[in-house]
Amino acid sequence: MIHTIKLVFSNSKYLVLSLIIFVVMMIGLLIMSEYIFLEPYVVSHIPSGTELGFVLIVIISALSALVLPMNIFRINILKSSKQKMGGGIFGSIIGAAAGACSCGPIGFAVISTFGSVGATATAFLTNYEIPIRIVAIAILTITYFTTVKSLKDECNINS
Amino acid sequence: MNKKGMMIGVIVVAIIAGIVASVSSSPTETVNLDMGRTHGTIITAMGSPILGNPDAPITIVEFGDYQCHQCYNWFHNTKPAIEQQYIETGKVNLVFVDLAFLGKDSPIAAQASYCAEDQKMYWEYHDLLYTSQESKIDNGWANSERLKAFAFSLGLDMDLFESCLDSGKYSKRVSFNTQQAKEHGVRGTPGFFIVNSDGQQQISGAQPFSVFKQILDPMI
Repeated sequence: MIHTIKLVFSNSKYLVLSLIIFVVMMIGLLIMSEYIFLEPYVVSHIPSGTELGFVLIVIISALSALVLPMNIFRINILKSSKQKMGGGIFGSIIGAAAGACSCGPIGFAVISTFGSVGATATAFLTNYEIPIRIVAIAILTITYFTTVKSLKDECNINS
Repeated sequence: MNKKGMMIGVIVVAIIAGIVASVSSSPTETVNLDMGRTHGTIITAMGSPILGNPDAPITIVEFGDYQCHQCYNWFHNTKPAIEQQYIETGKVNLVFVDLAFLGKDSPIAAQASYCAEDQKMYWEYHDLLYTSQESKIDNGWANSERLKAFAFSLGLDMDLFESCLDSGKYSKRVSFNTQQAKEHGVRGTPGFFIVNSDGQQQISGAQPFSVFKQILDPMI
């Protein structure tokens, strides 16, 4: 497993890509979930009772930063099919969507635009924020292991 | 002459009754009877009674939804320090204006708060809603029956409260407040305006106490 990670991230392009995905995704999700505010001052805080949500955002960002570059590596270097990329993207998107709506500007825009259908969708994403993020982590973890296995087989890596 | 004397007597009695009523009411809660009330550019006449000193030089106008969990976070994590350091000391007062958009129970909960105001218990009811909020939107915690149960637990006159809530007496008031929020560019809850004689500053989201302190201190 470590050999596979080394294989991918020994190429600095994939390391930089991984860092960019992690930083952009984590900061974006922390802003959407109101852990970071940009106006009137840049400030971050973790309100009591929301610690679990914060930890799940960090885990999703880290897994996305691990899984997505590995899949891009497979496609670019090994010219593999793009099919297995889907799991990583899907996991990242549903992890990002959970709780992003709620009572913030995105939820307000969705409800204002789509009315009761938007309100139902927003309520679902808000009510099941934590379970949805856990499902996203599960999808990303499964995608990680299948990608490692695939890289091992295709690159003939031992152990 | 007798008629004139009686008229003067009635006016004097009415003035005395008014003074007695205003003195006997809680010093931190006033019933909103000012239909022309504005704070900055915001019409707050249809909002909550003023929490704190009505003559305070600064007003925080909060736009919120009783089902919004970020409003819950602000209520529990930031508001206590603002109350302690600014509202109870008479430097700042606060007005709550509804932006009830999250679910079907949101406008009903807002209407219920004004039914409680009819019995001079607005802030007690407001606080109870934010203390009792459950994490799921529209799961029944703020439905009509539960709202009545909250009123009962505060010892409100249930006949008055139920007839007020069931009649939808304050539905237009809540709609007006929601419209005020939209007109002022509030795009989520909680949203705040810090208003003083020099103008108003908008703050979006459940921001920490340090942000409010940084804005309020230079204004005082």
